[in-house]
Amino acid sequence: MQDTIQDTMPGVNDSSSMQNSILTKKLKWLVMHFKKEWQIYLMLAPTVIWFIVFLYKPMYGLQIAFKDYSIFKGITESPWVGLEHFYTLFENDQFIRAIKNTVMISGASLIFGFPVPIILALMFNEILNPKFKRTAQTIVYLPHFISAVIIAGIVITAFAPSTGVINLMLNAFGYDSVYFLIKPEWFRTIFVGTGIWQEAGFGSIVFLAAVSGVNPSLYESAVVDGATRFQMMYKITLPCILPTILIMLIIRIGNILEVGFEMIIMLYQPATYQTADVISTFIYRQGLQAAQYDMAAAAGLFNAVIAFLLVITANTISKRVSNTSLW
Amino acid sequence: MSTVKLKNLVKRYGDVTVVHGIDLEVKSKEFVVLVGPSGCGKSTTLRMLAGLEEISGGEVSISDRVINDVAPKDRDIAMVFQNYALYPHLSVAENIAFGLRIRKVPKDEIKTIVADVAKVLELTPLLDRRPADLSGGQRQRVAMGRAIVRHPKVFLFDEPLSNLDAKLRTQMRAEIKQLHKRLGVTSIYVTHDQIEAMTLADRIVVMSDGRIEQVGTPMELFNTPKNTFVATFIGSPPMNLIEATAEVTDEGCYALFDGQRCLIPTLKELTHRDEIIFGIRPEYIEIEPSEGATEINVKIDLVETLGSEALLHCKFLGKQFVIKVETHGKVNNLENLSKLYFRQNAITVFDKTTTNAMMVN
Amino acid sequence: MSFSENMNLYSKGDKAFVYLNMFLVSMFTISTLYPFIYVTSLSFSLGDAVTAGEVMLTPVDFTLAAYELVLFDPAFWQAYMNTFIYTIGGTITSLVIIIPGAYALSRPQLAGRKYWNMLIAFTMWFNAGMIPFFLNMKDLGLLDSYIGIIIGFACNAFNIILLRNFFEAVPASFEEAARMDGANDFQVLWQVFIPLAKPAIATITLFCIVARWNGFFWAMVLLRDEDKVPLQVYLRQIITQLSDDDTFASTLITAAYSYETVSSAIMVCSIIPVLLIYPWVQKSFNKGIMLGGVKE
Repeated sequence: MQDTIQDTMPGVNDSSSMQNSILTKKLKWLVMHFKKEWQIYLMLAPTVIWFIVFLYKPMYGLQIAFKDYSIFKGITESPWVGLEHFYTLFENDQFIRAIKNTVMISGASLIFGFPVPIILALMFNEILNPKFKRTAQTIVYLPHFISAVIIAGIVITAFAPSTGVINLMLNAFGYDSVYFLIKPEWFRTIFVGTGIWQEAGFGSIVFLAAVSGVNPSLYESAVVDGATRFQMMYKITLPCILPTILIMLIIRIGNILEVGFEMIIMLYQPATYQTADVISTFIYRQGLQAAQYDMAAAAGLFNAVIAFLLVITANTISKRVSNTSLW
Repeated sequence: MSTVKLKNLVKRYGDVTVVHGIDLEVKSKEFVVLVGPSGCGKSTTLRMLAGLEEISGGEVSISDRVINDVAPKDRDIAMVFQNYALYPHLSVAENIAFGLRIRKVPKDEIKTIVADVAKVLELTPLLDRRPADLSGGQRQRVAMGRAIVRHPKVFLFDEPLSNLDAKLRTQMRAEIKQLHKRLGVTSIYVTHDQIEAMTLADRIVVMSDGRIEQVGTPMELFNTPKNTFVATFIGSPPMNLIEATAEVTDEGCYALFDGQRCLIPTLKELTHRDEIIFGIRPEYIEIEPSEGATEINVKIDLVETLGSEALLHCKFLGKQFVIKVETHGKVNNLENLSKLYFRQNAITVFDKTTTNAMMVN
Repeated sequence: MSFSENMNLYSKGDKAFVYLNMFLVSMFTISTLYPFIYVTSLSFSLGDAVTAGEVMLTPVDFTLAAYELVLFDPAFWQAYMNTFIYTIGGTITSLVIIIPGAYALSRPQLAGRKYWNMLIAFTMWFNAGMIPFFLNMKDLGLLDSYIGIIIGFACNAFNIILLRNFFEAVPASFEEAARMDGANDFQVLWQVFIPLAKPAIATITLFCIVARWNGFFWAMVLLRDEDKVPLQVYLRQIITQLSDDDTFASTLITAAYSYETVSSAIMVCSIIPVLLIYPWVQKSFNKGIMLGGVKE
């Protein structure tokens, strides 16, 4: 029936040949374009290939989160098990504990750690002596560039039970030594504190840049009005950098699942897993150490999806905020 | 022989046509200026000539060679950009020599060529400096040096003086003109400044909305503009325009406005009671009576002294009229002037609906 | 806020505020410095003194014993050299891939530019995770190899986007003028854009160097051969043994050095190169902040 209709209606056949000619036109354009611009594509190729091979190809392997993966069978031959791993994970106390620890540590980091760079920036801004300012800044930025291993090493050494300086000082004041790093109740404090020490200096750069963007005539008119420096700091500087603060805060919240796990791996022990084990370290132990690849991949997928949603939300909100701000 | 021919040149961005079929012939050694307000398509036209924009329709040829599909570097042209595009990490000499190095010209040849060009442009003492250490005018000259060095058939200039202050612009204008005289290379120059156009061009191409309004020598455009757009674009201050009604009598044609009546050139197309636009240049309005000039009563609102000249502002039918007079060193009585004189042959009449000038028989 | 550097015009309250502020900043600065001083002092102290808990600020019973042990350990030098290989090899690989890639992505004539950029940017929001990445490296045969470490971590989206934005900000006339002079894409990149982008490239290079120098996790996971580990992994091995007091203590302890002094010595040795390039890093990221779009 169809064929006869096509035969009797002359226009209908033309559409498919027209589609063909549009296609050939596009192909012709593409060929000409490549002949002219091949160098650009040659420059692009290594980058794209790298991303595909090292970042996108693993996404293909991510499917083992839904499979009963066996190294011998490989990815394709391993059977599907659907959401089984996720059920197992959420029934696993350790995983739940890891989620809880991640949020707790991140939250503590946020509450205690977020204001420090801001305060530091404000304080730096009040330093009048340029040499002092520069020296202090140089010193304070330094920890950011030191490796997690070394920072952890310093912490471990400093908090060591009998020889570490912290305990030595405690002893000097008459207190007993505490073996800090095996006590779960101390882990969060030490970890967050270390994080602040390492990153507050470098983190103040963004805020310093915002502070230096404040219009000097605002201060000048305040001086004429008789304001003290302290008043100027919280009535002028702080409000002016509020948009920057908000945006950094939003970004920070978006990254809440990132907890600097290299440092945790260095600092934690089985004795402190209770408070120290976070999602990433859980994955590390289950996956890379215990070779339970499929379950660890599932945990990683969970982590990545939540992180993705958080970051997208954070970015959307931050774009709205920045549209109504000085930027 | 380095002629340039644009035949029905069109530029489209998607559904929007920006250049609507430009036809232009540039003679060998001619200095042609494309001038017009922002967005009129002059830069786009130039860039199509240069090969920096795809040509949507029509033909471009240099010396009768169609170059639509020829790569910019093979078109035998050189371009001076608005922001000069001088490489900040190279010295003046290296900047000028850039193209020669790419073409693998031997080193000693490069040296002599650069030295010659530097001499012509008076850049010799600056050859080792970086662009950052040069003044605006010097940078301009380096940009031109880079163009000259290629011995092109056509020079293209894309608003090269826009970034300079007024004084420097005047100076550089003269330099460009002298250079053109000296080198004799066909040049096409784009600007939005009609003063630059008037002073530099052998012929001016006035463009608007992607179309050519008029092509002619500076004086042709000044004295016989084809429409009100050209009339007001060329000349500073612009031509005074005012709407009027035509009165055709046996004694001649008159324009009626402001309750006053002015003798205008006898034009064939004029019919009685036609709506017209009456135009007269500030320079051509006189303050002394003369034979055949219509006397008009005015009240001068404002006198702007420019030194040897003064601008007088008055009102006609709610519109501002500007008169440019020579002061001969005295401005005291100008404010009290009450009469102006419009000479018949200084008046241009435009059709109100088409805005085209009505030509004298 | 340097509207008034002349403190003579200050009120008493303001002067007090300034001094208090300086004091607080000094405290913070000292507290940043102190741990480094502490560790350095440990490294120069006698093992016994450390064990006896005598070292808090300055070296006690100054000795070079710990350094002797470390510097004469071939494993240390092997690790040091490995770190250089990873750092230099990795940074060069990064630049070779990132610079042309960022340039290509910045060119309007690239077809599908939006999609290529999305391909790169998406990896900043989502990645497959630790396990799939590991299995992928295994699959590619890159476990336990120098190449694996060097290539596997050569790119990140952030640096590419940073450089791409910088290239995009260069006025089109630079490329157009070069093209009219006859340059092809590679020549335009090499002779015009890379020189123009020197500050951005310098920043990226230095951050690459620091990241490579400090990298330890994946080196630890991917490398089996002791001879291939970088300094940080080597250091980690020594430090974690610190936690297993008993086992390590018996192998190493003498009067001259203790595990604290030894690990401190290694730490000092690993920090020194970072300190050496630190002035350049600081200079460069002060410029880099402007490139990152943050207002100066």
